[in-house]
Amino acid sequence: MPLWQECDLIWSFNVMNPSEIPLPLEIHDLTVSYQKKPVLWGIDLEVPAGKLIGIVGPNGAGKSTLIKAVLGLLPHSSGWVKIFGKPPRENARRVGYVPQRESVDWDFPVTVMDVVLMGRYGHLGLVKRPTSKDRDIARECLDKVKLLPFANRQIANLSGGQQQRVFLARALAQESDLYFMDEPFAGVDAATESAIITLLHELKGRGKTLMVVHHDLPTARNYFDMLLLLNMRVVAFGATEEVFTYDLLQKTYGGRLTILSEVADAVRQRG
Amino acid sequence: MKNFSQSLIRLLLLVGTISLAPYSHAARIGDISETNLLEQAIRFFSLADPALRYALIGSILLGVGCGLLGGFIVVRRMALVGDALSHAVLPGVAIGFLWNMSKDPVAIFIGATVAGLFGTMVVSWIKETTRLKEDTALGLVLAAFFAIGICMVTMIQRLPSGNKSGIDKFLFGQAAAIGSRDVQLIALVTGLSVLVVVVFYKELLVSSFDPGFARVAGFPVRALHYTLMLLLAFSVVVALQAVGVVLVSAMLITPAAAAYLLTDRLHRMLWISSLVGMFAGVLGAFFSFLKPNLPTGPFMVLGATTVFAGAFLFSPKHGVVVHWWKFRSRGARVKRENTMKGIYHVLEDHAFNGEGVELTELAQKRRVTLEEARIEARELVRHGMATLNNEDTTLFLTPEGWHRASSIVRNHRLWELYLTNEAQIAADHVHEDAEKIEHVLGDEVVRQLERRLSYATQDPHGKKIPSWEEVRERGNRATRQERPLGYNRHE
Amino acid sequence: MSELLPPFDFQKVIVAPWTEGLGTTGWVALMGFFVTAACGLVGNYLILRRMALVGDAISHSVLPGIASAFLFTQSRSSGIMFLGALLAGVVTTLLIELIHKKSRVKQDSAIGIAFTSLFAIGVIMISLFASKIDLDQECVLYGEIGFVPFQPMMQLFGWQVAPTPVAVMGAVMLGTLLLLLLFYKELLVSSFDAGLASSLGINATAVHYSLMCWLSIVVVSAFESVGAILVIAMLILPGATASLLSYRLPSIHALTLLHAALSSILGVHLSFWLDCSTAGAMVVMGAVLFTLAWLLSPGQGLVGRWLRQRKQRLEAPPELMETVNAR
Repeated sequence: MPLWQECDLIWSFNVMNPSEIPLPLEIHDLTVSYQKKPVLWGIDLEVPAGKLIGIVGPNGAGKSTLIKAVLGLLPHSSGWVKIFGKPPRENARRVGYVPQRESVDWDFPVTVMDVVLMGRYGHLGLVKRPTSKDRDIARECLDKVKLLPFANRQIANLSGGQQQRVFLARALAQESDLYFMDEPFAGVDAATESAIITLLHELKGRGKTLMVVHHDLPTARNYFDMLLLLNMRVVAFGATEEVFTYDLLQKTYGGRLTILSEVADAVRQRG
Repeated sequence: MKNFSQSLIRLLLLVGTISLAPYSHAARIGDISETNLLEQAIRFFSLADPALRYALIGSILLGVGCGLLGGFIVVRRMALVGDALSHAVLPGVAIGFLWNMSKDPVAIFIGATVAGLFGTMVVSWIKETTRLKEDTALGLVLAAFFAIGICMVTMIQRLPSGNKSGIDKFLFGQAAAIGSRDVQLIALVTGLSVLVVVVFYKELLVSSFDPGFARVAGFPVRALHYTLMLLLAFSVVVALQAVGVVLVSAMLITPAAAAYLLTDRLHRMLWISSLVGMFAGVLGAFFSFLKPNLPTGPFMVLGATTVFAGAFLFSPKHGVVVHWWKFRSRGARVKRENTMKGIYHVLEDHAFNGEGVELTELAQKRRVTLEEARIEARELVRHGMATLNNEDTTLFLTPEGWHRASSIVRNHRLWELYLTNEAQIAADHVHEDAEKIEHVLGDEVVRQLERRLSYATQDPHGKKIPSWEEVRERGNRATRQERPLGYNRHE
Repeated sequence: MSELLPPFDFQKVIVAPWTEGLGTTGWVALMGFFVTAACGLVGNYLILRRMALVGDAISHSVLPGIASAFLFTQSRSSGIMFLGALLAGVVTTLLIELIHKKSRVKQDSAIGIAFTSLFAIGVIMISLFASKIDLDQECVLYGEIGFVPFQPMMQLFGWQVAPTPVAVMGAVMLGTLLLLLLFYKELLVSSFDAGLASSLGINATAVHYSLMCWLSIVVVSAFESVGAILVIAMLILPGATASLLSYRLPSIHALTLLHAALSSILGVHLSFWLDCSTAGAMVVMGAVLFTLAWLLSPGQGLVGRWLRQRKQRLEAPPELMETVNAR
């Protein structure tokens, strides 16, 4: 265990009741607004460890905003966020992030390997260069997403699904405990999607907590342990089977749910 | 232009005899009125003149510094921020001059840096508080600051002491005016840039590529951004003497853009960019030395542009001409397409599980030897259609390759279906014909065929015809989204 | 310091220009207005299309066009100069598109490369053939309205209308206005949504290139009086100021004209006071007007924003309250 983690543990034991292990993510009264218009309103959330959680809601519901605000990428006008009992910036190394694929310039002059190595940067601290051990870890992560043969390709020469997996490999290389993924299934073919979801379940099996923004309702039911139904505020948060009901989805998606009929079918099929 | 070509020819003759060049000429550069071009060129290469040495060293250092920072400017899409910054420094230059009524490099340096940074701050204020877009804000600040500077410069020139100050040399640059203090300043700034880039390479890389990720990983993205802007302001300011206000931005953009076309790795790009910058610097100093009153900046810029044009046309990977040359021969193209078709068939046999194709399997499918298959594979790699793994045993298509492979299979199967359905030819006789025509069907024809066949999904042999969506999907290289600029990337 | 900043003499700065030297002052102010108005009107569409920096590029790259026109004809004949500038403008536009479509170089870098190269060629031509081209380097940069020859007057139907350069600039300004009125619909639709424009049967590419051509013409006719770089200010400042004050295109056009008039008259006074470049002073006043609008605009002004922020805290929108209540 790296020194800093030990320090963390000692610190947390000193401060808190030892029996009470801090939750991966606590959000209290989080409000985010964009030019006076609130996008997220009074979010309260306590996320248990070791779960695969889907964040669903209609377009403009603030799914990505929630992730960005939690990570400190957007300023919030009220409320606080704690990650493993501490403000996010102090626990940066325990947080992994998979941004939307469109958020970067894929013509950037880096190879697949370079991008995955970036996942190690957080562990290196300022100035230090990646070591051969970091390279080994990066190679392992690439192998997990089956991209090892592509390691030396420039990232523009990848298909959409492969690019998404590069991001995933980078997140794996971060070796974090809490992951935030912004639409990892967007623009990905079916085979990649199922490969990714298998990987996510494997991560969960190792005690990691994953929060995944997802836009496809029908599949959400099968993919996730827990669902966060979001539309500017938390409509519902709980185990998938409890939350995936017609009423709650109706409430989340409001009147504009043309896909609701599909979902309704899905719910009915489930009985 | 005649003078120009003459001087070039003479230059070529000269290159061989440079080492024998006569040495000392004591006259200062500025004093020369009518001198032989050849003589001037010889003087340039003999490096006898101290003023010349300063000019040359200054230009080289500038080229390196600007090239290095320019690399980041180009990949962060801040190219025009450099332009705005370089114009916005002018009032600062004037104020620095007014400080003690002389071209004191340090005073001008401080004034210009402050003005430049203030200009970039105004740009981000305008962007944050109004609905004006970034390009408007940049143009606005650039021109307004420049106008203030022009007013001040004209006022200074009106003063008795300002008249012969040579402050107007800042507009187009005169490398010959570089003195020893300027060179020290340039060396300091370039040294600082190199140091920062070497020490914080990793941080600059990750925050340029993906600022959101970098922030989450705990890197001070905002501080890095401002460090880069500060260095940029420093470089612009020290480059003013040699290149001039108007063309500084070219020294930042053009060498880096040339490098961007020549390599796919950032660190190599920075190396190449610095070298190109250096080359441009020497070229500019040389040409402006040939005749009195020739400005340095424009020659530096043209030197850099020439390299860029070369890269644009002949870069091995991204060059326009190279690309055209590679794809010119039809016979070779048909051969490549057949290889790709083979790859598609192998992948289809595996129900598209896995992305790689073993060369042995491909050889079997194509009925060639392993060695021949390897040659075919290398040909695909050379054309950017695929990559090989390190052991040369497995081939992976690139999105472009996927696109071609599935289109060709689609053409083949659509044509077969057409022949059996419409021309009533027996299914076992259509293959040969389709083999030929698959390579020449245009998009238009394929669309019509498809419509004619009412979007059938199976060919006469019961195999699936790849749909247009699949062809596109597999070929979906990351879309080239056009976010015009990347000014405040930390947000 | 004191010799740099002359004392503000009301009589000399405000009154004298209009009483003593009315002829010159009037023509300079009128010229300034024509230049700023013509540039500002075209500039409105550059801002709408997010092409402000393409305007920057073209204003730089008309230089080689003008220089080669000089070189070939050895005269300041306006026809040839317009042609040269037009060509240069089109070449710039094409070059930017070529670089950015045929390689992975992004648009901002493409703009930077194209215009600096062309501008460099222009400067070199001027300094190599200084004896043949009647342009000096400083004039290229910031021009000088004050030195534009106001004699002889142009004759029209036997009347002395105006000095030739002013008349030409006025014609360009009126032409701009006329074109905008005639093709308002096409410009608006294609600037807003090129896809929609094609579906309506408007050729967006043609509109684009026509706009670029007209831009080159405006820039080259403004070149002599304001130089290559201050033109950018004339292109962007009026439109930017206007779009802080209004959301509607017709009133933005009207405000552009107002800004042009104010900035040129105030600029004349400023240059009288400080005895500095007239064109520079006009732009400085234009920038002052922009700053005022930025501070005081009713919708987007900094002051209004600050006041509002103090007054009201964040309020939940009604539709959200409904859903919360429904819960």
